[in-house]
Parts: sequence; structure tokens; C-alpha cells
Amino acid sequence: MISLPLLKQTIKSNWVIWSAMTAVMTVLCVQFSAMEMTQSLLFTIFYGMMTTILPGIYVLVTANKLLASQVDRGSMAYVLSTPIKRSAVAVTQTVFMVISLVLMFAIQTAAHLTVNAVDPLSLETMAYNALSGELTGAMIIKINLSALTVCIALAAVCFMFSGIFNTAKYTIGLSGVFVGESILANMLAMFGSLGVDGLDNFKYATICSFYDYQSVLTETNDWLVKMIFPIGIAVIAFAIGSIVFKKKDLPL
Amino acid sequence: MSDIIRIKSMTKDYGNGRGIFDFDYSIHKGEIFGLVGTNGSGKTTTLRHLMGFIKPDSGSCEIDGLDCRKNSKEIMKRVGYVPGEIDFPDVGSGDNFLRLQAQLLGMKDMSYTNQLIDRFKLAADAPLRRMSKGMKQKTALVAAFMSKPDILLLDEPSTGLDPLMRDTLIELILEQKQRGATVFMSSHIFKELEDTCDRVAFIHNGKMIEIIDRRMYDPTMPKLYRIGFENKKEYFSFIKKGNFTITRKNDKYRHLIVQFKDNETNKFLCELAEYNMRYIKYIPYTLEMYYTEIIEKGGKLL
Repeated sequence: MISLPLLKQTIKSNWVIWSAMTAVMTVLCVQFSAMEMTQSLLFTIFYGMMTTILPGIYVLVTANKLLASQVDRGSMAYVLSTPIKRSAVAVTQTVFMVISLVLMFAIQTAAHLTVNAVDPLSLETMAYNALSGELTGAMIIKINLSALTVCIALAAVCFMFSGIFNTAKYTIGLSGVFVGESILANMLAMFGSLGVDGLDNFKYATICSFYDYQSVLTETNDWLVKMIFPIGIAVIAFAIGSIVFKKKDLPL
Repeated sequence: MSDIIRIKSMTKDYGNGRGIFDFDYSIHKGEIFGLVGTNGSGKTTTLRHLMGFIKPDSGSCEIDGLDCRKNSKEIMKRVGYVPGEIDFPDVGSGDNFLRLQAQLLGMKDMSYTNQLIDRFKLAADAPLRRMSKGMKQKTALVAAFMSKPDILLLDEPSTGLDPLMRDTLIELILEQKQRGATVFMSSHIFKELEDTCDRVAFIHNGKMIEIIDRRMYDPTMPKLYRIGFENKKEYFSFIKKGNFTITRKNDKYRHLIVQFKDNETNKFLCELAEYNMRYIKYIPYTLEMYYTEIIEKGGKLL
């Protein structure tokens, strides 16, 4: 089902932006968790925003490059003029999308775990009330798992547009609106949860609400239940994108 | 001779009269088949169907008995393709692209690839993005020919090539025929079709006009000559005699285009000996003339 040569080609054309985003995310994570001045903002700024914004940009650009832009430019003709099924192309690109996100979060998580092992963060310094004790490694892993599933869902929706449209501009346009709206509504909802009245309702307008680091910090299991939704969305969106890509006429 | 590509009453309607309508023909194994037509007449659309990129609205196309859309994976094992629009995957240099393409094709031996690179004088280590149109075209040609496929589908393969490289390409296409491959190419450069094709199909506005055989423009057919007369009187007297077929005349410049077979050459020269001639010029009958005639005639019909 997966074509290794195609995977290699995909890695070759996407590793730059992946490396850049992973590096930025890891450096920010280390900075927020290691510097005393910014430690109190680790959750609001870094885990609250950066873990969706940075991967969001990455998936927006990459999902488009995986299918739609190659169809738009015509370079997909070379891939499809070799013995490879369109479904195998879609599956290979899906696998790349998911694995690259998993690796991105894995590296970032590893960095955070290292920093936290040296100097465990005291949760009492956080902006939230009613937290006590220290940030544990298990919590870090859980938070990142929760963020990862939401990012995979974002990627899947972008991938779906990429599979549906033959032109990069529609794919980027619709994916951009979707990712932008999700991130923006998430930020507004976060201000709501920090006490700005009325903005709280924005949490119903974004897929990022399924990412729940607060429940991890308060040691409830909400985050685990909420993971079901982004996984469901991801499966459906990847499937729709792949099926449409398999069936449609390609102007190559 | 068995048919390797079969197109059966295939129609793809893009609206506004664009698309291809009721194409129905077969291509024999081992022949070079040309597709000629104006821009937008449906050449690329036909090739896209054969590549399985698009599905016909009605009818079907098959390669070696396999449906082009459904069995594209099987078919692609045997097909080399040069797309009409050249844009490469984002993988750096030409070498990189060819290597990855070989891996996708499951090729191990790169000696023929290197031979082709030499023949086309291709600087394959150049970055793909900075390549000129001709260089890109050569890279695409190498990618299509390197696996020695049974079937070659070439969409205007000589675009952007200089005249010398065009000759190299023609040579290469003829070599493919020699080793038994079938070539299906579209073009609007008549010279290269004349030099290569066994049969040529004319299409216009998505409709098949005619398929002509190499025999129809071979040496035994009547030849055309243009003859210019010194004075008007003799010019009219030649016309009056009417011993030869006159296909075109120009009273003002006193010249005629006459047509006769090789075995009438003597008779023709004897008759001309009586006149005071300005010049005589042989006009090779080309595919282009044939095409122009058909389209002019067809234009009135359509």
C-alpha cells in the first residue's frame, strides 16, 4: 500500500519546512520551560497557542504540497506514470503527514522531558488556581498526545481539501480559513477561560477544544475522552481526501 | 498485426464544444502513430485518457486489453510518458529526479539512462528549477525513454528542443520502433511526423477528421511542380492544351502548379521545351499541405 520511493521523494521535498517548524517548536518549548521569567506562561502561551499554531502552519503548507499543488503544477504526472496506484499515492502521503507530526511532537516532548527532569516545574507558579505539586513526565506526554491528535485532525482536513481540489489556490484558501479559524477561536476561547466574559463560547467553534491540557494538569481523564473526536475527524477526512483523489479526473 | 491501443467511441465533453467526440481507432503493435491538430483540438485530452488520468464520459480506451483508467498500475509498467506541460517534483537536481523516477519504476540498471543523458547532452546535475525549457524537455524525455518501455506516449515531445536535438529525438523514436515498441505521439510539427510516423490522425475541434497512411505521401504518388512562364501568351496556351493536371494558377505572375507522376516526366519536359520558361521548381508534397487542404475543406463543412 505504501510506496517507499514516493515516500523518499516526499521527504526530500518537505524536510526543510518540517525541520524549521520542529526546531522552532523545540526551542520555544525549552525556552518557556527553562527560563524562570517565562515559566508561568508555559501553558498559556506555549501549550495554549504554539502547539497548535506552529504545526498548523506546517500542515497547511505541507498538505497542499502533498497532492493539490503537484496536480496543479503537473508534476504528479511523473509519479502516476510509474506503476503505482492512486490509492497508494494517497496512503503514502497520509502516512508521511501523520508520521512527520508524530516525530515533530516526539522531539519537542523529549526536549521538554529533559528540561523538566533537570528542574521540575512547580505547578503552583502557574496562572491557574487550584493546582499543586510538580509537573510530571507523564503529564508532559499526555499533554503532547492530546495536542498531537488535534494537529493530526487539522492535517487531515487540509489533506482532504488537497485531495478534492486540483488547484493549489482553493486548497490553500479553504485550508487556511479552516486552520486560521480553529486557531483564532481557540485563542479567543482561552481568553474566555482566563476571565474575559463572553469569549468562552468560542470553544464551541474550534476543533482545538478537543485538546485539553488543563484536564491533564488537574489529573482528570477528560483529555482522553476528548481524543476520540479528533481521531474520528482525522480518519474520516483522510478517507474522503484519498477517495476523491482516487476517483477524480486529473488534468495532468 | 495486432492492436495494442484500442479507443472505442470515446467521448469527453468539457462543454462549449471543447473536448473530444466519438474517437474510434486502434494502434497496431510496433507502429508509430501521430496525432496532429491545432491547439485545443484534443491531443492532450486523448493522451490523458490513455494514461488513465481522466475517465471518458462514454466509450472506452484500452491498452493491451486493459482498461486505461482501472488498470493504470499494470499499464504503467510498460508505458513511458512525456507530459505536455513539464513541471517536476520538488526534488532538487535533474540527477535526483531521474534516480527517484527510476526507483519508482523499479529500475536498477542506469546505464541506458546515462547513455541517453549523453546523447541529449543534458547537464543533469543542474537544479530543476533553474533549467531552461529545452533542458526540462530533455530531462522529461530521458525519464520517459530510460526504462525502455513497450509503449511510449509522447505529448509534443520536441517542444523547446533545438533543431539538432530534434533530430536526435527523431532518431531515438525510430530506434524505439526498431526494438518493437509502439509510439503514440502528438505534434504540430509536420516534419517530425513525416520522418517518423507510419500513420497520422488529423483531429480538429475534438473530432477525428482522417487517418492517413504513410503510403499516401510516399514516392509513387503524383508530384507537384511550380513552373513560371516568360510571357502571357505561352502561359495561356499551356493551360489551354490541358495535358497536365493544374492544381493552382496565378495569372498575374504567370505561374502554375502542375501535378504528374514520375513516368510522365519525359512527356512533361518535351512539352515545356516548346516554351520560354522562367523557372521550374519541385514542390515536395508535405503532410502540412495535406493538412491545410483538409482543414480548409473541413472548415467549410463544419
